[in-house]
Parts: sequence; structure tokens; C-alpha cells
Amino acid sequence: MEKNYHVCTGCSLLCDDIEVEAEKNKINKVHTACRIGVAHMKAGKEEAIFRVDNKPVDEATAISEAAAILKNAKNPMIFGLGASTNEAQKIAIELAKKINATLDDTSSFCLGSLVEALISEKIKTCTLDDVRNKADVIIFWGTDPSDSHPRHLSKYSYFPRGSEKQRGWEEERTAIAIDVRKSHTAKICGNYFFQIPPKGDAEFIDALIAGLSGKLPKTSYNYPPKKILELANILKGAKFGVIFVGRGLIYSLENLEPLFRLMKALNEKANFHLMPMVGNYNTMGFNENLFAETGYVNSVKFENGTVLHGPEYSIVESLKERTVDAALIVGSDPFSILPRSIVKNLLEIPVISIDPYETLTSRNSKVYINTAISGVEAGGSATRMDGKKVSFEPAIETNHPSDETILKKIMEAL
Amino acid sequence: MDFGSFLATPEIKVKVITYRDIFQDKAMIENRFGEGYRNLSAVIKLDPVDLKQLNVKKGDTVILKNSFGRIVVKVDESGYETPHRGIAYMPKSPWSNMLVSDETGGTGIPKFKDISVTITSAKGEKITEIEF
Repeated sequence: MEKNYHVCTGCSLLCDDIEVEAEKNKINKVHTACRIGVAHMKAGKEEAIFRVDNKPVDEATAISEAAAILKNAKNPMIFGLGASTNEAQKIAIELAKKINATLDDTSSFCLGSLVEALISEKIKTCTLDDVRNKADVIIFWGTDPSDSHPRHLSKYSYFPRGSEKQRGWEEERTAIAIDVRKSHTAKICGNYFFQIPPKGDAEFIDALIAGLSGKLPKTSYNYPPKKILELANILKGAKFGVIFVGRGLIYSLENLEPLFRLMKALNEKANFHLMPMVGNYNTMGFNENLFAETGYVNSVKFENGTVLHGPEYSIVESLKERTVDAALIVGSDPFSILPRSIVKNLLEIPVISIDPYETLTSRNSKVYINTAISGVEAGGSATRMDGKKVSFEPAIETNHPSDETILKKIMEAL
Repeated sequence: MDFGSFLATPEIKVKVITYRDIFQDKAMIENRFGEGYRNLSAVIKLDPVDLKQLNVKKGDTVILKNSFGRIVVKVDESGYETPHRGIAYMPKSPWSNMLVSDETGGTGIPKFKDISVTITSAKGEKITEIEF
């Protein structure tokens, strides 16, 4: 019997082995997905919602109001798009060019610097399929995929059999967690959990590099040198090592230089790859699409055919310095995910929210357009956390417009 | 013993480490304005000795305060085997984001994982609403 598999867009793993049971365009059962994936696949709503000033309107009114806001703005911003398809992202980039907008996504305050280093080939990376088939030493550093990317360990990084790892985790893989707290992933790593103090990562990297060349590893927080030497020895023996990097590590470092040094030291002794644990299902796609267009992964401003780039064009600095005077926010909830001390400034400008979910941002927007959930109610393509392209069809039919459709209509209305 | 514990309402200072939680993420997808999401988000997890010093018990509400915000959340025991006095844990949420500094040094990156707060008993005060 031929099975009809769907893609889960609940996180950047883009699991492509999902089966659903639906009745009257409502998904009742989801097979194979994780806890987050099941909730995500079932999240489709019945009615499409369009609001202006918190009052229900029709689609055409919401589109023309959104276009008017963007037309009247001197310095509009477009933000989000990590939960949009590649097709929608490309339209948003065109729209940003057309209206001379600042354009940014969550990667500017998450893992964007690391993604840019990977796209620019400054760090060796690999695919998740390589990890499943070949990886023997796996490090989770400042990341807890058991909670954030729940099928990461079972589908790719630790538990599965792979073409060159037929005896799997029991004998052929070593999983290591380095973190400030004993996460669920750290528990799975057992004795290979290395708990370090907050902000202790850079020193731990230096100590590990010392350990890799047989020197005595020292830290100001007196981490037992014997344990660091033991870790260095495991890493030296890796035939296919991979470090999965989360925000816990990136937020702890002043810049990426210690990580570059560690990768260099590891690759002098062994074979190591690195992969950022990006969160949203198509953040990687946004970073790639913007890089292809501008040479930057985030924080840009288009100005009459030229591209300006720098942290001053990030969402955080744009709001802090009040440099933007309108915001189009696609599939993101800055009112929830940014510090309130900064995001409160967003209340001072007109906001257009395009989102499948009712959020703090949708509730504080002048225009709200409730769109289809891509992968569940709309099709398209996206880029998995390791750069692999994944296409998907909608699992159910819906009367919700996709964000791609809405962005096109706003563009036309301009 | 810290000076804070001699005050009429004991007060302690902690560093807050934020993290992601699969149950909380699921609750958010289902309804980010619902009770389920609130119960799993508006919570701080402490070392049992810190709970004792504050004279509060699991399920009580506490006030978390710093120069960027003041919120009321529920308190819980962390359940970690290793003692961690002075370090508290909170799921990443609109509540924890009310305590994050606006200082970025122009980098575009807030100090999400560098939160320090004082904690006192909220004496029954209700959990802070996230609405603006």
C-alpha cells in the first residue's frame, strides 16, 4: 500500500515521515510526529480572520490597509519569515526592496552569526543524514534537542542505526552534553555530561584546546582537569565528530573566535563538523535566500538599489533606537520573544501581523491577517537545519490564504 | 546566612537561567493565552534551601524584580540532585522576557541568558498578565 507522508513544519528538522488522519479538513490523528509536531499538525483553524483596529473586516480591506501603512511609512521594517516558505520569503525580499525597507529575522539575535559562518564556508559542516550514517562522537553544546527538536536524537544524532553505524548508540556512538544545567538531553548523555557555570564556555573551550594538545587544562572555576583530558581523548579519537551548537553557547561567547579555534584544533587531531540548532522551520531558508540576494543573512536595509547591513538594522536596535516607523511582521511574535524593555517601542508604530496564530503581536497590530499553516494547510518548500531542501504539499484544504498569497497581494496593492 | 533572610519579608538574589520545555512549547501551540501555557511558563524553579530561606513553598507566588521589570510567578523546586543555591531556572517565555535588560551594546543581541533578580514572597498576589 502506498503511503502518503507529510512534512512537519513544527521545527527545523522538517520530518518527512508524518502520517495524518483527517475528517472534514480537520486533522484528528497524527502518527510518527513528536509532541510538538502533533500539536502543530492539529493546529489548523476553521475560519479565516482579518482585522483592522481589532475589528473584523474582509480580506480586501485588510490588504489595502496594510498597503496604505507601508506606503505612508518612511522607514518600514519587515520582520519574521522563519515560519514561511522559501517562496514567501523571496516575495518578502522583493517587497522590502520595493519599499526601501529594513529586513530582519530572529537569527539576528539567535544563531545568525554562526549560520553566516557556515554559508560563507568558514566552518566545516555536514548533513543530518551524514550524522545518522557516520557520526561516532556527538556533542550537544548549549542546546537541548530533546525539548527543542524532539526527534533529533532518535532520527539522526544518537539512537538510529546508520549505514556505517550498524551497532548504533549502544556501542558505536558517544553523546556528550556541555551545558549550564542538566537538561533532558544531558541526562541521556549520562557520564558524558559536563556542567559548566554560566558564561564559562569560552574558558572551557580554551581548556579543551589545551587538553587536545596534552597540556594541563585550567579554568578559573576549577573544572577537574582529569575530566577535561578524558573528554579531549574521546574527541581526538573521533572518525566523524559533530558539534550541535545552541544559543546557550552562542550567548555565552563575546564572538565566534573561540569556536573557530576549537574547530581548528579538533580538525588537526580528528574530523569534526558543526551544525547550529536553528529553531524555526525555515530560518535557514531565510538566511540562505537573503544571503543569495545581498551577501548577508539578516539585518539589512534596502535603499534605492543598494543594501546596507549591520546590527543597527536588526529588529532589536531598530526598535531600541526607534528608527523604523511601521512594521510588517510575518509568522513571528516579537511581543513574546523579545525583552519587554525593548519591544514596548513597537506599540508606538503601526504593525501589520501576518500569522496563523493569535499572538501578543496579532493582538497589538493595526492589521491582522490570519494565514494558513505551511505544511499543514499550504504547500511550498523550505530548507532544513542542515541545508537540505524539502518540498511539501498541504495535508488538508483550507480557506485560509497562505502568507505567500497575502504578501503577493500587498505587493500588488502597492 | 544572607542579610536578606533577616528582613521581615525574606529576600534573596538569584541568577536566572532560561530554557526550553517541550510541554510548554506544545501548550503554546495549542493556546498561548491559555491556562496550560501560563502554568508551564510563569514559574521559577529554585534550590530547596532557597525556598526555605524565602519562607515559601512549592506552588506559592513570588515577586521577581530587577531594574527592567517586576513579575509575579509561581515557585517550584527544581528537582536537580546537585545543590544550586543562587541559581534559578525559568522556561523561556513572555514572563522571563519581562526581566531581560535593554542593554545590547549595539550588537542587536539582548542578554537573554544574563538575568539577575531579587525574589520575595508575593503573599498571594496573582500571576502577572502578559497582555500589554
